[in-house]
Amino acid sequence: MPDLDALKAEAKRILIEGVVDIVIGFKAGDTPLHPQPAFFKTIDEVDQLAFDGLCQNNLATYLTRFPKTQKIGMLVRGCENRSVNALVFEGQHPREGLYLIGVPCEGIIDWRKIVAQTGEEVISVTEQSDNTILVEAKSGFFTLEKKTLLHESCARCIHPNPISADVVIGELLPEGDPALARAIVASFAELPLQERHAWFRQEAERCIRCYACREACPMCYCEECFVDHISPRWTESGTTPAGMQGWHIVRAFHQTGRCTSCGACERACPMDIKMTYLTEKLNDDMRRKYNFEVGLDATTPPPFSTVTLDDKSRFVV
Amino acid sequence: MNLILKKDQLNHLLNAWRQDYEVYAPQSLQNFTHFLPLQDGFELAFDKAHNTRIPPKALFLPTSEALMKFTRFGGYEQIPSETTPRVIFGIRPCDAHAMTMLDTVFEQERYTDPHWQARREATVVVGLGCHEPCQTGFCTTVGSGPFNHAGLDAILTDLGETLLVETFSDKGDRLFAQLEMASVDQSVRAIEVQQAAKEKMPIAFETEGLKEKLDQNFASPYWEEASRSCLGCGVCTFLCPTCFCFDIVDEAQRGERVRNWDTCMFRTYSLEASGHNPRPSRVERTRQRLSHKYTYWVDQINQIGCTGCGRCVRYCPVGLDIRAMLRKAHQLPSEVAHA
Repeated sequence: MPDLDALKAEAKRILIEGVVDIVIGFKAGDTPLHPQPAFFKTIDEVDQLAFDGLCQNNLATYLTRFPKTQKIGMLVRGCENRSVNALVFEGQHPREGLYLIGVPCEGIIDWRKIVAQTGEEVISVTEQSDNTILVEAKSGFFTLEKKTLLHESCARCIHPNPISADVVIGELLPEGDPALARAIVASFAELPLQERHAWFRQEAERCIRCYACREACPMCYCEECFVDHISPRWTESGTTPAGMQGWHIVRAFHQTGRCTSCGACERACPMDIKMTYLTEKLNDDMRRKYNFEVGLDATTPPPFSTVTLDDKSRFVV
Repeated sequence: MNLILKKDQLNHLLNAWRQDYEVYAPQSLQNFTHFLPLQDGFELAFDKAHNTRIPPKALFLPTSEALMKFTRFGGYEQIPSETTPRVIFGIRPCDAHAMTMLDTVFEQERYTDPHWQARREATVVVGLGCHEPCQTGFCTTVGSGPFNHAGLDAILTDLGETLLVETFSDKGDRLFAQLEMASVDQSVRAIEVQQAAKEKMPIAFETEGLKEKLDQNFASPYWEEASRSCLGCGVCTFLCPTCFCFDIVDEAQRGERVRNWDTCMFRTYSLEASGHNPRPSRVERTRQRLSHKYTYWVDQINQIGCTGCGRCVRYCPVGLDIRAMLRKAHQLPSEVAHA
């Protein structure tokens, strides 16, 4: 659990000293399972700042909404920090216009895993100091192990610590085991072709094309997404198998060398569609084939963002 | 008509209906519940979730639906409307009520949607009243309620060992024709249960004067604040039982004209051919979503276009709560000049 008072004090300091114009963080939600992203412009507003394991969004998704001249403070966990780095590399905001308040992350709690055990009528959720959470639901009180409730992307997180924050509040945590990230890739990639295809179809074809995955993703900032393009049309826009599969394949491919494995796409999905297994596969390829991990700094270009005149594929140049 | 159904005979009755109808009821799909056709050995999932994740509007207005087939050389044929007799069992009153609002859209005097109308006519809708209020719902606030009859051919009230069945139409009467009449005592108990459920449901926000407030504050800076964390996805509207917007697309390769769900929360929804977009940002789109439900529907049919099912609250990826948004809107100043 991060020290909330220290977070607030730092957020207030950077506002008072004019380091930033706005601080992006979280505030308590109107419902117990859903804290909300929040934007603080004054020190009075900062008093509302809240931060716990249920804060499920990747705040870096808001970065591209602001003018590049605006000085922005942001609470960043490991994945958010890497997303910010990737966005800085892609020219979406100058690093000097940012002040990152880093928080080592113990993992995001997947509210779906709570309601699976307590029923969906949850009245309150309290994180306790012994790594358990106390849930008051209509069906009774539940004490649940936080570890068992982590979103899968967080359970296999490799880099929980903010990597290039301007200040870090809280003790750094041990790095995760890359083998865990590989396990999800292997569990899918090793399936026989037919089963792999069936798995993909079963997930993709539940899609209702609401694009919550796209909007939740910091790296999906195109002004016009390929699915919204009218001439030429790249994919069917309806919920036909071709349309749904087309969306999920191309969305994942556009993340090659850009996805930070934060899992915000899955957490936003109203149909509980698994999709990080696709991006994890691409991330795994990036690690193994190019020794590249997204967002470890803001200067190393992703392998697919580099072009040289002596490129072996002549069509590129 | 008030009838009585023993709970242990429910599955028998559902199976009997399957002779003549396709019977849809909430069943588990992945981690949530969904209206699916009953198959042999079905398991109902009423205890898993209060409401299905996708509202039953999807059974009348599918996410995608082909309206017409055509060829490159000028020929075309209309796709006939779906008329398979169906029963939807276990629909919640909020969702059924919403269907009556959608009827005013798809069955207007001059323009009737044949696909919607055919499905509506071929379907019997059996509701299950809500004994316990759900955390995110607010039906009684917006003129619906846990035992509201609107849009239902029959409704069930849980009396413990038995279910009291009230029928409201010939369709409903026919469906339950085999059952015995309920006693006066059972009917009285049902009324008590229904009344208690209604009283347990808290009022979430003030609706008196809300429309006027929203109309007056069309140009208010409040909308910037209200939409600041909105992702601009379609979760709230796609899962909404009263949202009905669609887009019509020609899938030229397949030769099909298709109607797909669309939403005012998308940039492309209001984008015009010239490139101009009258709702250029999430600010205007958020205002549109709330205003449509809480002022434009009121202008058109004198009802709030929301039945308080609470799905938008429960599934918003950033935790936006329409109840809180409207509470704040109600506190806005009156008489703000229009833009």
